[in-house]
Amino acid sequence: MSQPNSSHTPTLVTRDGAVLPDGWQLLNDADEASGDGPYVLGFERALRELDGLNDRCGVRIQPADDVRLLEPFLDKIALVEVAFPGFRDGRGYSTARILREDLGFTGIVRAVGDVLRDQLHHMLRCGFDEFVVKDADPAEAVAAAAKRFSVAYQGAADDRLPAWQRRLNAEAAVS
Amino acid sequence: MYVYDDFDHAFVADRNREFADQVQRRLNGEITEDQFKPLRLMNGLYLQLHAYMLRVAVPYGVLSSRQMRRFAHIARTYDRDFGHFTTRQNIQFNWIKLADTPKILEELAEVEMHALQTSGNCIRNTTTDQFAGAAKDEVADPRPFAEIIRQWSSNHPEFTFLPRKFKIAITGAFKDRAAIRVHDIGLHLKPTGFDVHVGGGMGRTPYLAPLIKTGLQPENLLSYLEACLRVYNRYGRRDNIYKARIKILVSALGAEEYSRQVEEEWARLDTTKVDAPLAVVDHFKSFFPDPAFKGGFDAEALDRAKTADAAFARWVRNNTHAHKRDDHVSVTISLKPVGLPPGDASSAQMDVMADAAEAYGYGELRVSHEQNIILPHVAKGDLYALYRDLDGSNLSTANVGKITDMIACPGLDYCSLANARSIPLAQDISQRFEDAQLTDTIGDLQIKISGCINACGHHHVGHIGILGVDKQGIEFYQILLGGRADENAALGVITGKGLPAEAVPAAIERVVRLYLDLRTSETERFIDTVTRLGRETFAEALHEPA
Amino acid sequence: MKLLTANRLSDGVVLWYAKDRWVEDAALAAQIDDAEAETLQKTWAARETEVVAPYLIPLTADGQPVQREHVREFVRANGPTAGQTAFDTSRSFHRAEIFE
Repeated sequence: MSQPNSSHTPTLVTRDGAVLPDGWQLLNDADEASGDGPYVLGFERALRELDGLNDRCGVRIQPADDVRLLEPFLDKIALVEVAFPGFRDGRGYSTARILREDLGFTGIVRAVGDVLRDQLHHMLRCGFDEFVVKDADPAEAVAAAAKRFSVAYQGAADDRLPAWQRRLNAEAAVS
Repeated sequence: MYVYDDFDHAFVADRNREFADQVQRRLNGEITEDQFKPLRLMNGLYLQLHAYMLRVAVPYGVLSSRQMRRFAHIARTYDRDFGHFTTRQNIQFNWIKLADTPKILEELAEVEMHALQTSGNCIRNTTTDQFAGAAKDEVADPRPFAEIIRQWSSNHPEFTFLPRKFKIAITGAFKDRAAIRVHDIGLHLKPTGFDVHVGGGMGRTPYLAPLIKTGLQPENLLSYLEACLRVYNRYGRRDNIYKARIKILVSALGAEEYSRQVEEEWARLDTTKVDAPLAVVDHFKSFFPDPAFKGGFDAEALDRAKTADAAFARWVRNNTHAHKRDDHVSVTISLKPVGLPPGDASSAQMDVMADAAEAYGYGELRVSHEQNIILPHVAKGDLYALYRDLDGSNLSTANVGKITDMIACPGLDYCSLANARSIPLAQDISQRFEDAQLTDTIGDLQIKISGCINACGHHHVGHIGILGVDKQGIEFYQILLGGRADENAALGVITGKGLPAEAVPAAIERVVRLYLDLRTSETERFIDTVTRLGRETFAEALHEPA
Repeated sequence: MKLLTANRLSDGVVLWYAKDRWVEDAALAAQIDDAEAETLQKTWAARETEVVAPYLIPLTADGQPVQREHVREFVRANGPTAGQTAFDTSRSFHRAEIFE
């Protein structure tokens, strides 16, 4: 369920705050690939076509898609777009973590759809590195999100140590 | 009890700063109500009938005197001088101003309290046995694990937008005083490890949680929970809010299949990143030592006091619970005086309870899911002095576990979700049974009242459950019989048609009188007679005048 | 005919619409004809920095909230019916209960 009042244009921004033009083209199932791409394929189409591709492409995953089905084709995928049709649908967070931590995917993981600044911190922690975000100042939104919480209580896809690990490290340092 | 370190203080400060920013952006129109609503819910702020309601977390129901005094201060300064203790061991303030909330949260943070995740589709307050660490029948203290779960679930990046709310309960005693079977995840700590029950709940479609895993080792608790939550996050229904709890998923898959999916997910987790090692478990255990129990109990002095003061004797009989030390007891302060809203306490009463805990209770209090306050450790030699302090503030009602010790949600007097009012009904019922001797004769009987199907009053697991239903605006109540929240958990069954409010107290009385006629002895409790004879035996009494 | 009601954003206080302004006393609420009420509700739903959750209460022929909403609107107009703040709202306006 999208938010009618989010009047800002969606802008592609990286985890480092770089605003990028989005050079990727989303191919719907019936579309022919015309031009040089690069292309983002829908999930079903990706499962059918990835095996036969030489170049690396993008795949868009909807919340109900099982990301693990992409496992055999990860080396053909440069970009995974994880869709959030409504910001309240949190399945994309699990998708991203599975991609990073279980499948070891090292390409770009991008959040698309109903993405606002208030979700960016959690998305960063779940392994996203690009965001198509609706905000007046996307670069500032990403920078603010990274700094938003100085403490993490749990391990996730990022490098942050959970508080219990930091406590252990602090104890070890003084002993 | 747990004491914040710099990490914990920093976390709450960061959250409060974030929320203060979100409030500002809402007040000046930078974000819409639709965008703001999930954010304010995650900080425990509801918009109710009369005003904003703030639900403050009391982590696993454990409270210090200092924290109770802060509640009194908030009630006085920002509210109408009282607060309401809930069935999830939290406290609610009903007349809060949105603009005041950042300041209130700051004042709570000073005493290591917050309102985080007391609402919204996230992991809520983990609840436990109100006698944890004190009860004679306790096998292992669940509180260190409750704190471990609390921290792990705080601001969890993957589980902030679940299909629906998620409630975890944990117990470490043989008797289940935490109602674990009607929670999304119910954990039972045993010497061999955790029994994990998943998929319990009340509401529109009540379920008792099936056992999903047994013998889970403490050092694997978090990774296993993470696997359970991940399966739910991925596969819980999001198309229908009435079908979105994990109980629906577990029921649809079947316990075996759900368990299999969790094991599969668990096997693929990097548990070294998730699981806190045993050294960490020990670290948390170190926060829950026994207090320095005072000795020198004069049993004769206590007996003399009881002989001299019958009301005191009755209070000892009804309101104390066996402690692991023979010279101590746990004391329940009943917040169910006849004729007042169940679970409410005035700011003055909160101060009295804080002082009493400091003087006689080693500075510690608990909130039970039955909406009472507990002093878990009280030396028997201090009981009479404690009783007199409580008695002066209408805190000495000797009805714990009895028919007038009702659970009631706030209902349509406060809550915008309600169909019917629960508080006036609770008051009418308790007035009918107010006679002390009658109450004691009836014995243990739990009435639980919910103003709507959301079941915040736990009506499904009351010996007598009462559910407010909407009959085109006229308040009607369905009566359920035979529910239990304990280790023999059972769901009550609707018995007969709904009754209008004025008919309910008399109907309850008919059922109670029939029980008194049919019980085999004074020691056969109401719930046991109902179980023995069947609900149908009592159905007629509910609906026909004798 | 309908009543328009909402909560004030900053403090959550219940408000009632009375001919071009919001009031805190339900006794002063204006009865609005259905068409105008719909328009007003939409207008105020957009004025999010002032009020939140504006909604319409349908009235019976004699100006009372319809049966379905009766108890709820009684409680909002007069205060909770039980406990420490019983009828606080109506008392604070120095008037008897309304929406009997």
